[in-house]
Formats: sequence, C-alpha cells, structure tokens
Amino acid sequence: MKRQNRFGSRLFIGLTFLFLYLPIFLLIVFSFNAGDSSAVWKGFSLEWYAALFQNRLIMESLYTTLLVSLLATAIATAAGTFAAIGLYALSKRRRDALLVVNDIPMMNADIVTGVSLCLFFVAFFQGWGAFAQWFNGAQSVVELPERLTLGFGTMLLAHIAFNIPYVILNVAPKLRQMDKNLVDAAQDLGCTWMQAFWKVILPEIKPGIVSGALIAFTMSIDDFVISYFTAGSSTSTLAMRIYSMTKKRITPEVNAVSTLLFLSVLALLVLNNVREIRQERRADRQEVRAPSFFEKLSMGLSSPSRRWIRRGGLAAAVCVFVAAVALLTGVAWSQPVVNVCSWGEYIDEDLITQFEEETGIRVNYQTAESNEALYSLLKSGGADYDVIVPSDYMISQLMEEGMLEELDYSRIPNFAKIDERFKYLPYDPENKYTVPYSWGTLGLIYNAAMVEEEPSSWGVLYDGRYAGNVLLINNSRDALGAALLHLGYSVNTTDEGEIREAFSLISDASRRGVFQGKVMDQVFQKMEGGNAAIATYYAGDYLSMLENQADGVDLRYTIPQEGANWFVDAMCVLKDAPHYDEALQWIDFIASTKANLANMDYIWYASPNKEALEQYPAWYEEQYGEELDPELYEIMAPPPEVLERCEMYLVLPPATRALYNELWIQLGT
Amino acid sequence: MSKELIRLRDCVMSYGDELVLDHIDLYINDKEFLTLLGPSGCGKTTTLRIIGGFLSPTAGDVLFDGVRINDVPPHKRAVNTVFQRYALFPHLNVFENVAFGLRIPKTDGSGRKTKLSEREIHDRVMDMLEVVSLKGFERRPVSALSGGQQQRVAIARALVNRPKVLLLDEPLGALDMRLRKDMQNELKRIQQEMEITFIYVTHDQEEALAMSDTVVVMDGGRIQQIGTPEDIYNEPKNAFVADFIGESNIIDGVMRADGVVEIFNRRFQCLDKGFAPDEPVDVVIRPEDVDIVDEAAGQLKGTVTSVTFKGVHYDTIVDFYGFKWLIQTTDYCPVDSRIGIKIDPDGIHVMKKSSYSGLFGDYSSYSEEYEELDAAEPEDGEENDSREGGHEE
Repeated sequence: MKRQNRFGSRLFIGLTFLFLYLPIFLLIVFSFNAGDSSAVWKGFSLEWYAALFQNRLIMESLYTTLLVSLLATAIATAAGTFAAIGLYALSKRRRDALLVVNDIPMMNADIVTGVSLCLFFVAFFQGWGAFAQWFNGAQSVVELPERLTLGFGTMLLAHIAFNIPYVILNVAPKLRQMDKNLVDAAQDLGCTWMQAFWKVILPEIKPGIVSGALIAFTMSIDDFVISYFTAGSSTSTLAMRIYSMTKKRITPEVNAVSTLLFLSVLALLVLNNVREIRQERRADRQEVRAPSFFEKLSMGLSSPSRRWIRRGGLAAAVCVFVAAVALLTGVAWSQPVVNVCSWGEYIDEDLITQFEEETGIRVNYQTAESNEALYSLLKSGGADYDVIVPSDYMISQLMEEGMLEELDYSRIPNFAKIDERFKYLPYDPENKYTVPYSWGTLGLIYNAAMVEEEPSSWGVLYDGRYAGNVLLINNSRDALGAALLHLGYSVNTTDEGEIREAFSLISDASRRGVFQGKVMDQVFQKMEGGNAAIATYYAGDYLSMLENQADGVDLRYTIPQEGANWFVDAMCVLKDAPHYDEALQWIDFIASTKANLANMDYIWYASPNKEALEQYPAWYEEQYGEELDPELYEIMAPPPEVLERCEMYLVLPPATRALYNELWIQLGT
Repeated sequence: MSKELIRLRDCVMSYGDELVLDHIDLYINDKEFLTLLGPSGCGKTTTLRIIGGFLSPTAGDVLFDGVRINDVPPHKRAVNTVFQRYALFPHLNVFENVAFGLRIPKTDGSGRKTKLSEREIHDRVMDMLEVVSLKGFERRPVSALSGGQQQRVAIARALVNRPKVLLLDEPLGALDMRLRKDMQNELKRIQQEMEITFIYVTHDQEEALAMSDTVVVMDGGRIQQIGTPEDIYNEPKNAFVADFIGESNIIDGVMRADGVVEIFNRRFQCLDKGFAPDEPVDVVIRPEDVDIVDEAAGQLKGTVTSVTFKGVHYDTIVDFYGFKWLIQTTDYCPVDSRIGIKIDPDGIHVMKKSSYSGLFGDYSSYSEEYEELDAAEPEDGEENDSREGGHEE
C-alpha cells in the first residue's frame, strides 16, 4: 500500500515536471531542426543559430535589450538601495506600510503597469509640447524639442520603475539584519554619513544589492508587456522582436533565439541561487575562510599606496560604461536616419543593409501587427515613424484624417516604373500620397488530400461539408467580405441588411460547428500540418505555407467564382515626418526594380513594379537554376482578367465600421 | 577636582507628547569617571546619545569646553563611543576594526586634510591591542571572537582615536558575571592609564558604585541625584534613589524636632536636621543597619515571616505592624519568632517627601521580587555559551 502511494506521488511529480518542462524541451530540440518546420523533425543542424547571428533585426534588438537591461539595472540598483536605506530611517509602522506599497507593483499585472506608464508618458508629452511651444515662442536662445515620442528613453524609465521594487525587496532584509549601531559607530569614528555608507553599509548589504541587481536584470531581459507599451514605435527589445516574428509562423529561428534567452535567464537564476546557498553555508560554518581571489585582489588594492589604482580603476570603469552607452546611443544621433514601420517578414533584410551602404542613412526598421494596431499606435501619438506601409482601406482612412504627407514625386524617379494598373487607385485617386509596395489576393486555401473536389465557391466555408475542418479568418473585414461576395454583394456595401445577412451566414455556420476556430497566424501551422482542410488567407502566405507543408499534405489556392478581395499595400509618409528627405530616398530605393525583385522573391507577394513583375520568372530561373512554376507565378501575380473579378476594400463609413465591430464581438471566440 | 569639560544646560528631549528628558542640567569634569544610572527608559542612553551627537536635544544647550556643540555631527566631536552590542564591523578583521577611525582623513585647523601614515596606524593599533590584551588576535575576523574579546575590540576601536571623552553604553551588559567583574577592573585601569573622561551608562547599581567617581541617578527623564557613590548610598535624596541603590526599608515618618524622627509612633534619634516641625518625611533604613535584639529590649517589635540564607548573612523579613522590613543579619531567627530591633542614629536617613513616596520600601512582595530578578537575568546580563561565539541573535 505504502509502496504504491510512493509510486503514485512520484508519478505525479514526474508528470508535473513533464508538463512544466516538456514545452521548453521541445522548443530547444526544434531550434536544432534542419528543416523549416516546427512540427516535423528533419535532422540536426545549427543553421538557425547561424541565421540568428546574421539577422540584423534580431541583433539590433538584442543590443537594445542588453542596453536597456544594463542601464535600468544599474540605475534601479542605485535608486533602490538608497530607497531601502531611506525606508529604514523611518519608523517601523511607516516602513512596513511602505514595504507593502513596494510589493504592489511587483504583484500588479504587467499589462496594467505597461498601459498606465504609456498613458502617463503620452500625457506628459502633450503637456511638454504645449510648454515647449510657449517657451520657444517666448525666447529664442534655447530651442526645446516640441514633439517628444515614446522610445528608448521612456522604455528605460519604465524598466527602472519596475526594477526598483525588486532591488528594495532584496536589500531590505540585509538592512534589517544589519546592526543599526554600525552606522552610528562609523560616524562616531569620524565618518561622514556618506563615508559610513561606503565603508560600512555597502559591504554589509552587498549580497542583497547583488541579488537585487541580478533579479532586476533578469526581469528587464525577459520583460515583454511593459516594454511593448512604452518602447514606442522605433525601439524593439528581443522579446518584442520574437513576438513580431511569430506573427506568421514560429520559425526555428525563433526557437533558437528563445532557447538562448531561456538559457541566459536560467544561468542568471542559477548564479543567484548558488550565491545565496554559498552565503548561507558560510554563515552557518562561520569559519575563518581563506580569502577568495577577488578578496585578495581587493585587499591588495585597499592598501593606501595602491588606493589610487582602485580609484583610477573605478573611474576607468565609469568611463568605459559611459563611452559604451554614448557609442550605442550616440551613433544614432550622428547619422541620418529613417524610421520605417512595416509588417513582420515583409522585406528582404539585405535591402536594408544595401540602402544603408548606398546612402549612409540608418534604417530603423520596425513592424506593426495589423493595420488597426498601426492606426491606434499613430493615433495615440506614441509613434515617430517616417514611412509606413498600410493597406489600401487604411490609407484612405489616414488620408481622410489628414495624417499623411503629400509626396514629392520628382524625387521618386522609380515611381515611373510602377505599373499604371496600380496608380490612381480608389484609395488615393489623385495619387498624391502613395507608392505601392506589393499587392495580392485573398482566396481559399485547401488541402487537396482532405477535400473531395476543388472548391470553387466561398459557400464551402459555410455549407458544413467539411464541418470541423474549416478555419474562419479572425478579421471582420475579410470574414464578412467573403460572405458578402458569396451572397453577391459588394465587399464595400454599407447596407446594414446585407451586412447582417452575411453575418448570419457566418454565425449560423458557427453555431452548427462548421468552424474549427477563428485564426490568423495559427493558420500556418494548422494548414501546413494537415490539421484543417480549408481556410481563407492571402496568396503570398499560401506560397510560404507550400514550402513548409508536411508530408501527405497537398495545399492548393483558388480564387472562388464569386470573386475575391484584392489589395495593395503602399508606402506613405506621415504628416510632419521628422526625416522627410530620407523617407523619400527610402521609398525610391524600395520602388526600384532591383529591390522589387528581391522583395518579391522573399515575401512571395507580387510587385507593383512593371519591370520586376515581368522579369521575375527569368530572374528566378537565373537565381535558382530552375524554372518558376507558372501556376505559382499566377497565384502570386494573378493576370488582369482574374483581377477583374476581384474587388478592393474601400474605407467604410464610421457607422458601418461600428456595425462590423459589434457583429464581430457578437460572434465571440 | 579638575576643570569642567561637558555641560548639558536645561536639555529637553521629546518625541511628540513623550518627554524623554525633562530639563536636564549636568556637568562633567575632565578625567572623571561618571556613570548615568537608572532603570530602562529613564533617559540615560538618550543623554549619552546627545553627548555623542547622535541626537539633538529638543531644547537646551550642549557645551564642550565651553563651546556650544548642539549642531556638531558625531564625526566632528572629540568623543568616541563603545556601543551596547559592540557594533563591530563584521566585514573587517580585528586590526581593521581598530584602525577604522585612524584611516578616516581628518581635517585640521587650517582646513587641510591629513592622513596618518600606515606605519603610525600600525603602531597605534598594536599599542591599543596591547592595552586591551588582544595582541596576536589582529588577523582574526571579529565573528570568531568571544563576547569579552569583542568587547575589548570595541573599546580599543574607540580609544585608539585618543578621544577626550569615551562614552560607554551598557558595555558589559552582554557579558557573564565573572567576565563582567574582570572588565570592570580593566575599564577602571584603562581610564586611569589613559587619563580621559569616561561617561558610562548602566542599570546595574553595583557596577556604578564600584567604578565611578560620580554617579548620576536618573528616572523618568529627570536627574534624581548626583554624587559620589558613597553620597548616593548613604544619603539618598528620595525614596527612588534609596530603593534603586542597594536594599532599603522606606517608612513613613514625622520629623518631631532636629535629630528626632517618629516611626510607628515611636521616637528615634537621628542625625538629620533642618526640617519643619512635624513635617512628614520618608525614612530609609538599610537592612544591614538594623540590630536584632530580644523582643523586650527592642525599639520596635515584630514577627519573622521569612528567612533566606545568603552565605554571609540571612535575609530576614520581619512584619512590624503590617509593614514588612528586610533585615540582613548574621543571627538566625526562625520563622514566626517574635523579635525586637534597635537602630543607631547614623543608621537612620531622613528624606523629604517626593513623588516616589509610598511606592518603594515595603518587602511584602520580596520573594516574588527575587524570582523576577532571577527570571530576568539571562536577558539582562548573563551570557550563555552559544552567544559567546559572537552570534548576534
């Protein structure tokens, strides 16, 4: 009986740990996968680690992460230590109350901390703007910047803010253990308070400070939520970069970087624990131990004849630190820059390097999640982008709201190479604001191995033939658009009856259990792995799924007979962009045939550049030594007669947008 | 004796409504061994901390050599302190602990910073370690020392700076009885050798009487009496001092004339004069000043209620008309026996009535008082072995 119990409890413990660590273990294993898939093992390889270190966006964000973590840790450790000492000068009742207050930010949901800090910064910037305007108007000696935005500085402040409680939490117990008379004794022996701090308090509470700093550093390194809300548009930490990389599919590259992040945080925690255990043992044994190497070093250095060396060393360390910070941040100031915001996996990154080499302009390349996320970021005033690449309907909305700057086309000679088909489109009828970036269609993706016949109508999404194997796109415009097309209405209808009819088509199907789920980015894994039969998604993404499909899966793409949506993403410059000239150079560079060919090959979306579009099959053959499958080329860049059947989204009036939102919320999850 | 070094003039210390020091006036002479004596909460440590510069009085002046030093921080006062629990620096060894004060650069009269040479620091530290008999211990970490050794380090650390005044805050409180006695002698020797002023805080009256030139008895934030140990013992100013210093029977009396005091309606000869006729007074009779005689021959007659053998003498509690006296005598009187007592005129001390009258002096609860003292002892003074190792809590 007893034996059995023991076996049972061991099994339970085993399962618990399996549950905790299996996902991480899988992540680590798949970071070494030779293939492109995160579901199928194709052999051992280090290629993703190699790719990682060549990925400039990841390396840049790693840089940012380390810089913000180190700076935040250093500042928070100093501030937290003094705060803890201050707390101990208070009466016990007040101190205890304040320590509870100190605990709250640690327990608080990150999202609340993040959002509130973001609100705080934006509110402050508004106040500052008004003040700076008045100040600059009142005198002309000093010019204050009138427009402040979220960025590295605000993120650093946020990190400092959330790190301080951890430092206090670690330093406070050491202060409690410390004999209060020590400071009195030091002062009695001739120290000023500051000397007493350096000579007595600091050595006593050093273990607490070090573990506080280590924990603060760990917290900073793996923070995502708070950084996300305070970093603004032009800064990304590693965690944020990983998040944006997972938008489409968890690539083994993400596995590799996550593995490294996991291991470094683990190493920090182990380091901290080992330190604590050692200290406890030392305290237990209370032995006269031989001084460690570092102590010998510091003992040697404490002899007065060499004290100046120690001072010099400290000064040198400070200089190196300051220089490093200046180097890391200062480069940005001395060099012209352009801030670009696009979508994840939406550019051949070599192009960024080429542009920088050709022009000497540094590109700060960021990504947004969706048009709506980009819009709300711009509206909140938290962004300082120059160039954005929104989709058609969002462009009209931004134009209507006066958020875009007119372009000087005389400085974008490559605009001439854009196919006339993609100029003067409804979203920008006079073509004053945009240069097309890419275009494509929304269609049906299906797994030929799971369907009886090639679907030719959107109706296959709703009729229940493939109940449980249909993925509904989790985007009201696209989902309702398909339903409207199926019913024979325009995707841009503002007729409430028509929209409600389309909605009931979806909600009925949903009630009958036709849909396996509402998905956006999970569509990749579901379709590639053969876990669903049919989905609505974009042509370019179909092509990248095709590369990664598992054995036995046969993915196809079709534009149903009712027609489909076609879309254009175009580059625009934001009103009052701080780097207008650089922005035009970037747009011209990206509009070139060379860049369009590279991009088309990389992102699998069609180019609007006439030459590039025509040259691509030949270019492909030259690059890869094999012919481009004409069928695939047609999916990528459907011929004009197919586009005829397709309709472009126009911006909907606010009432209709509200209806869309309301209906989508009704559908639930 | 010698010149005045420190003076507290009308010092008040209050925290909100709480009055910790109630208008203290005190002067301390150069090279004097002065003890602030009183129960916990009497204000003695506060007084010491004001002299050390760790506290600033709410009102009143602190003068050092005639100069007001209220606002001079501790590190600029020619005063060093030995703290209650030593407050040694745990991260430094014995040598470095003692050298701590010497390594701090001092600013001289002309504002220039001066530093001692390493040679001089070494010599002074080693000399001081010799004074406190700790030679050979200089490389030990302080946590590896016994309580008594730590105490010596603390004293050396303070004295090495050659202060004009050494403040000692219950320095022997954490040592065991025997060590305490040794250290008392040691401290007295060091004080005489170094010829500096010691201001010593303790709640232990024996310690105070044994070591001091001057004893300041405090209670409730006020000075109750200042005097030599003999004065304090023999001529207590009020019932509190009488009770706190040694054992005392304190009885209500009436002064009938100069040299005549009435207790229990009986007149006794005494040496005290200058009271108003028929003034109510407190009469102190030390237990050892009472002679036991036959009941018939006694000035007062009573019944023995308890006897405790104390080695040299018996502690005998005697009930006189409902008031219990402590009598220390070498004669054994069994419980319940009737006895008489005689008191010589110089055994009777008459004091003016004070706010302490009626609070002390009756030994009805004597045995319980003893038990309380026993129970309190480990916390108060006795050191057990595990504490010797230097563990603080």
